[in-house]
Amino acid sequence: MNQLLSIRGLRTYFYTESGVAKAVDGVDLDIAEGEVLGLVGESGSGKSVTALSVLRLIPDPPGRIVAGEILYKGRDLLKISQDEIREIRGNEISMVFQEPMTSLNPVFTIGMQVMEVIQAHQQVSKDEAHRRAVEILTEVGIPEPESRMKQYPHHFSGGQRQRVMIAIALVLNPSLLIADEPTTALDVTIQAQILDLMLEMKERRKGASILLITHNLAVVAETCDRVAVMYGGKIQEIAPIDALFKEPFHPYTHGLLGSIPSVDGTKARRLTVIPGSVPDIHSLPVGCKFVTRCPYAFEPCPDIEPPLIEDAPGHWVRCHLYPNGGKPAIPND
Amino acid sequence: MSEPAAAPTHVPSDLGASMVPPTVVEPAHAESLFTKRFRKFRRLRRGYYSFIAVLTAYVISFFLPLIANNIALVVKYNGAYYFPFAKYYPATQFGQTAIGEPDYRQLRRDLAATGRGDWVLMPPIPFGPNEALLDLESSPPNPPSRLHPFGTDDRGRDVLVRLAYGFNVSMTFAILVTTFGYLFGVTAGAALGYFSGKVDMLGQRIIEIWSSLPFLYTIMIISSVVVPVYLPGRYLLLQPSLWLLVAILAAFDWMGITYYIRGEFYREKAKDYVGAAIATGVSETGIMFRHILPNALTPVVSFAPFTIVANISALVALDFLGFGLPAPTPSWGELIGQGMENLTKWWLVFYPLGVLFLTLLLVVFIGEAIREAFDPKEFSRLR
Repeated sequence: MNQLLSIRGLRTYFYTESGVAKAVDGVDLDIAEGEVLGLVGESGSGKSVTALSVLRLIPDPPGRIVAGEILYKGRDLLKISQDEIREIRGNEISMVFQEPMTSLNPVFTIGMQVMEVIQAHQQVSKDEAHRRAVEILTEVGIPEPESRMKQYPHHFSGGQRQRVMIAIALVLNPSLLIADEPTTALDVTIQAQILDLMLEMKERRKGASILLITHNLAVVAETCDRVAVMYGGKIQEIAPIDALFKEPFHPYTHGLLGSIPSVDGTKARRLTVIPGSVPDIHSLPVGCKFVTRCPYAFEPCPDIEPPLIEDAPGHWVRCHLYPNGGKPAIPND
Repeated sequence: MSEPAAAPTHVPSDLGASMVPPTVVEPAHAESLFTKRFRKFRRLRRGYYSFIAVLTAYVISFFLPLIANNIALVVKYNGAYYFPFAKYYPATQFGQTAIGEPDYRQLRRDLAATGRGDWVLMPPIPFGPNEALLDLESSPPNPPSRLHPFGTDDRGRDVLVRLAYGFNVSMTFAILVTTFGYLFGVTAGAALGYFSGKVDMLGQRIIEIWSSLPFLYTIMIISSVVVPVYLPGRYLLLQPSLWLLVAILAAFDWMGITYYIRGEFYREKAKDYVGAAIATGVSETGIMFRHILPNALTPVVSFAPFTIVANISALVALDFLGFGLPAPTPSWGELIGQGMENLTKWWLVFYPLGVLFLTLLLVVFIGEAIREAFDPKEFSRLR
């Protein structure tokens, strides 16, 4: 498979009064064409900042991408001009945000907002833009798109707004859709619909990839091909979806999986909790970022940062317990 | 915080909808925020009627040359028709000996006396704003009479007519100053708020320095260098002195709104829809003026009436001091000044101040209603 997007050594720092926050500190990530990659982590792990860095949407000041390259179809997105990145936004790479309630401009009709994206990137007549807006709104399941185009965001429910956001994101057939917690703000019943819609839309557009950012492992299990787990601004583990759920390598991933209830298990199991909380972003540990909470931490952990190594095929992990011959070093309870 | 009485029996629409057969449901009427606010504004009677009154009076005031003027509308003279309000005729055209504009009221009396079927149609109030009526019995200022209900001023000019023309001058002036001041102020505020950082820092310091310039002295100095002249016969909007004064006032008037717009931009640009718009590739100017500005206009709309009030007062004050529009522009401030010099002539004090008071009051009512129409907390007060 061809790599669509390759992030190499990305470092995005925020310069605040209380010091430098290394939100993303050396992230390497590949997304293949047609792949759905999940990016999982707690709040503050740097997953959203990674996504925003791809489209150069980091507010500067205080944030800045200090190092790395983001290769999209061979071009480094961090080196191109403002006009060039604007051409890519919404056209080649688009984004769906977490909050559908506030991501639409309250003073414009839905139709205007869908048409604006089309007209921002393509020289088309108003009628043509209108026609395509109706088409995409039908596709994302907005009933009676013609008349609903004339309505304002406050006439739409949260789920419908997220459908509109997906319509806006996909109307120009981008190669990559970045979805930043697209279902977090929605009702559980709507969440599944929105995820299905995204996958369905992806299927219709052959070769389109999705980078799905979430803290919800259930969402990942249902939708993704591969998963990257982030912690402390670094990728801790990358694995195909089955491998990650069956044999999680990293103690952190292990903890994450232990903290979700299972419904298929026969024996009653206590949910495990990862002790402590995410360390302060201004003073992350020198060595492994997870050392302060890791039950398996041993002598090198606090001082030496483990490298990201491929212990099993396609299964990468950043932990001193590895290499371990392609087997998890942690007992599965 | 009580629920409406109907609430308990209300079926959630989503559930209800799934139970009824799939008929075509007419979607709710698409109503923009502006329509909604305008509808609310219309419900606020006092403000809405004030708005209608001021708007009507202002529109009518543009037709004042046809309503109150010493120049005839139509003259039938020796069988031919003339339209003096649209075209200048010398007095000799109608057999008068004077130089310049004919005395149409005299002409009307003369032609009626001849009985040849010639006639003059005068405007309903046949007195001009700058016409000195020196043929009255006593010397000016003349007290109110049937012909001149508001009396005449110290040069024998009809006070009612001058007040009417003055209304047009004051409103036009205030609207122009407000418009230009806001245009510049909003642009500056948008730039400060949007670009923030060094632009904001530098811009704010410039505004602080600029706003500490003493306005009145600047006006005095400028008007002592550039002597404002009144170009007779020219339409008000073509008077260069008007534009000079508009420019000066606007130059000192834009800072207030700048701070509000700056704040609005700071708040709005951090909102998700702006990020979402940037992520779809909208250009920077598109973000600023198409996306943020319409969401940041609330202070502009709600402050505009009060700024108009302030600018009307400013013109009155300047005219009163003699630094305003050049004589003989019909001006309220100048009339109030005459009133102060002739305190015993009550009509020169009472009518100009009364008209000024009434206008300002109505505009304030409008502003109050607009503010309330834009108030999102509909039930914030107990009534």
